[in-house]
Amino acid sequence: MATLRLENLSKRFSKKIWGVRKIDLEVHDKEFIVLLGPSGCGKTTTLRMIAGLAEVTTGSVLIGDRDVTEAPPRKRDVSMVFQNYAVWPHMTVYDNIAFALRLKKADKKEIDKTVIEVAEMVKIPELLKRYPRQLSGGQQQRVALARALAVKPKIFLMDEPLSNLDAKLRVIMRTELKAIHQQTKATSVFVTHDQSEAMSMADRIVIMKDGEVVQIGTPDDVYFRSANVFVAGFIGTPPTNFFNMEVESKYGLKILKHPHFSLELDEQQGRILKNYDKRKLILGARPENIILTDKDKAIFSAKVLVTEPQGSHKIIAIKLDEQIVKIVAPHKQKAAPGELLHLSFQKESLHFFDHETNWRIEQNGA
Amino acid sequence: MFKLLYSREFRQKAVPYLLIAPVLIYYALFWLYPVIQCFAGSFRDVNNKLTLYNYAFIFKDPTFYKALFNTAFIVVFSVTLEFLAAFGLALIINIKFKGSGIFLFIAMIPMALPAVAVGAIWSSGFATYGWLNSFLYYLGFIEKTAKIPFLAGGNVASMILIIIIDAWQVVPFMMIILLAGMQGLDEEAKEAGYIFGGTKFTVLRKITIPLLKPTITTALILRIISAIQIWLIIVMIYGFQRLPVLLEELVYYVDESHSMEFFRIGIAYSVIISIFVSIAAVIYLKVTGAFGKEAEETA
Repeated sequence: MATLRLENLSKRFSKKIWGVRKIDLEVHDKEFIVLLGPSGCGKTTTLRMIAGLAEVTTGSVLIGDRDVTEAPPRKRDVSMVFQNYAVWPHMTVYDNIAFALRLKKADKKEIDKTVIEVAEMVKIPELLKRYPRQLSGGQQQRVALARALAVKPKIFLMDEPLSNLDAKLRVIMRTELKAIHQQTKATSVFVTHDQSEAMSMADRIVIMKDGEVVQIGTPDDVYFRSANVFVAGFIGTPPTNFFNMEVESKYGLKILKHPHFSLELDEQQGRILKNYDKRKLILGARPENIILTDKDKAIFSAKVLVTEPQGSHKIIAIKLDEQIVKIVAPHKQKAAPGELLHLSFQKESLHFFDHETNWRIEQNGA
Repeated sequence: MFKLLYSREFRQKAVPYLLIAPVLIYYALFWLYPVIQCFAGSFRDVNNKLTLYNYAFIFKDPTFYKALFNTAFIVVFSVTLEFLAAFGLALIINIKFKGSGIFLFIAMIPMALPAVAVGAIWSSGFATYGWLNSFLYYLGFIEKTAKIPFLAGGNVASMILIIIIDAWQVVPFMMIILLAGMQGLDEEAKEAGYIFGGTKFTVLRKITIPLLKPTITTALILRIISAIQIWLIIVMIYGFQRLPVLLEELVYYVDESHSMEFFRIGIAYSVIISIFVSIAAVIYLKVTGAFGKEAEETA
């Protein structure tokens, strides 16, 4: 068990192409960190630098208090679960799991005990004598997991371990992984592009884009206090709806103007926008924060484009000019295509972003 | 009659055989027939009478045993050396350093040359007044009067020379096979080896080589078979009967001797060589498990 620190970590692929740029991150002991971002954002490269599989261009990696930037993978006390399992096909499940322990010249009885223990933890004790080709993808991933657990590493690395599993199994494994983490308490770094996976597993999420960190925070932080338009649009399904607004002042109150509607803000929200008089901003409203209401209380009205039943709730897509706005409604809500809906915002949960920088407009009004 | 032809049972059973019939006929005519002819011919004398004379001649001839020994020597040493060299080169090129593409291209050139050209290049190279001596002199390694008589060595020295020349041509071929195998390996399997405590050497020994085993067996057996068949380079450099090997003897008796009696002996030689090559092939199939493994794999 240990902490992990990345200091100013960068990876350059070629003269002009940076894979990862200046990442600073402190992972606490026993923490479950998820690196989240679209493909090509540098999350896997970051993980590979932590593992020692990719060379670091500048910056350093510290495990515990030891600088391991130049150390080979075997001297880092890390273990890893790979996206394509990477179990060795020429060894039995037992030999796969025992590989690292044998290299460490562990006692035979000790190896036996550990292998059985971790095999039970991932629920494959009956498969130890099999070869990987006799196993399903899900079982192979369990072997990979057992192999990684067997070495009792300081840092547990996972590179999209669930992305090759089918949807149902993925959700089951998510829960199991989280339970295993609570049991082993190993400091973990988990890479994924699936935001719901990240939300459901992480203690903290590191959101990356184009090789840089955009936001580090708890699932609640990134959802309710998204740092910029990218995060607000990336986290949550369906994603946040955005509206380009113009700010006006009337009798000391701020009013946001949209071609189709205007939104009057209360005093406190107005204070956040005190520097935005007569300027543009981006309003972000999550689907569940746009609510159906009566005609006289409505802020705007628009026609239904399609509805997407989800069982427990219903997603309604409405059309505002060319823009599609998605809202979440109770499953009983009736909404036929073409029907006019009257809508309002939950004002206290709105997000405001700067029009130029796309960053969140904070309380202190930067 | 027509009823039978149109019955479902007949169609299901007969059609597959009808479809492979052309290939079977082709094999019977152009493969099986010549092989049987050759085999039968090896037991006949000039007057077409049954005889064991051809084989008796070969087994009494001391040159045969020399040829057998030389062939075995070349097979063992050339295949071992070529394999090690090719494996090392493949490992290096597989790293993909800057310019590895060009290196690969240059390394492949000897592979494209026919054996006659290779023989010509090196017989003119190793000759006392050949370009290799001139080159060494130019570099200042030898005196003008002290040219090295490369081709004048004894049996073993000659064979070493042949092995070097053969390797020059064949190493790239083996390297390509091994390289293709290496590039087909799952990179993550190796990386997992490094993560779980492996040094470069352990990963090579415990992961890369076991995973590469099918490729290695293929490369080795193909090479063993063609090492048994080496002859043209030897003839190009030493001429006939100076460094006898099996196939060189065969060509000598069939082609160079111009007599029916010797021609029959040549045919007997070809039967003997076929048996050796077949043994090598059977060992190959046993080792790779091609005989019964497929059924087990799918089970």
